[in-house]
Amino acid sequence: MSKEVLFKEIFEANSKKIYHLCYGYTGDDESANDLMQETFMKVWQNLDKFRNQALISTWIYRIAVNTCLSFLRVEKRHPKDELTENIIENKREELSDKNEQISFLYKCIAQLEENERFIITMVLDEMPYAEIAAISGISEGNLRVKIHRIKQKLTEIYNKYERF
Amino acid sequence: MKDFDALQIIWHNQVTLPKVSHEDVFKKIRRTKNGLSNKLLLEIVGMSIAAITVLTVWWIIPFTMWTTHLAMLIFLSCCLYFIATMIDNYRQINYDKLIDKPDDYISYLKQYKQDRYLLNTRKYSIYSIVLSSGFLLYFIEISFLSPLWITALGLLFTSIWIAFSYLVLMRIYIKKEQSKLQGMIDNLERIQKQFEDNDF
Repeated sequence: MSKEVLFKEIFEANSKKIYHLCYGYTGDDESANDLMQETFMKVWQNLDKFRNQALISTWIYRIAVNTCLSFLRVEKRHPKDELTENIIENKREELSDKNEQISFLYKCIAQLEENERFIITMVLDEMPYAEIAAISGISEGNLRVKIHRIKQKLTEIYNKYERF
Repeated sequence: MKDFDALQIIWHNQVTLPKVSHEDVFKKIRRTKNGLSNKLLLEIVGMSIAAITVLTVWWIIPFTMWTTHLAMLIFLSCCLYFIATMIDNYRQINYDKLIDKPDDYISYLKQYKQDRYLLNTRKYSIYSIVLSSGFLLYFIEISFLSPLWITALGLLFTSIWIAFSYLVLMRIYIKKEQSKLQGMIDNLERIQKQFEDNDF
């Protein structure tokens, strides 16, 4: 199988989830697309090293997480600031639409701490806990507790602003 | 009131799709690859031309004083150091690090930023001092061979150029870099704490 064909397969199998991860991290669609593109550029550059790996998705997620961390470092973005009262007000009025609901959920995710954003998007995408633990470098025991806390935190944020 | 399961349903109903296709990634790879190679090539070729010029001048002109030979050696060393630093910088964009645990990757980023800062401050100062001493040594022989005004003019222009680069351009750059670096390191340290596996 040629490198291009392999890359296309990998891209099609993983791009949507990586996009979710980047969107959850940045809280905006445009940056998520940029980060996803950058992630897959790095995947392409390292494809030869990946070939012998059993679980390619873990490698790709690691690259995506580290790319997002570098992005924050360079751009000094603070997604937390983006969920201002005004934005929340506007979002609330439009919640009837599914697209707006998901957009609001992403804004709520962007209010979490950086590592929590990564973990929760992987949980929402139903990734096995063992894989999330391997990606984030956290033991599975700790991860379960963290996930429980993050779920509570996200639900609270969502309900807090949805109530207004 | 929604529980987490309700949020999960919203999540799975999402129709938001990435706007980037694998063809877009290929296009960007080609553009970036060419851009990076060209930049690296231009910088290396530029400095290599400078090194060859120094070597040619050293070879063709029969300098008689040891100070000039030392100056030429200094110029050549500066050129080679510059080329080596550039190559090393590009090597440091090490993709292997990208598959490290986030905690380790943040440590790597912090170290990389600190190394860059060291290069732009302390190492650049040493580089400027060495280069200036090279020019001073070079102008000793020139002062014996040329009219005084030529030596004076040469010294004046060289001094202005080095002083302007070091005192004005580099200070602005360092000041900017320093505040940016501190912000980045603070930020990285904050994120690193989140990834440390020590909740219990």
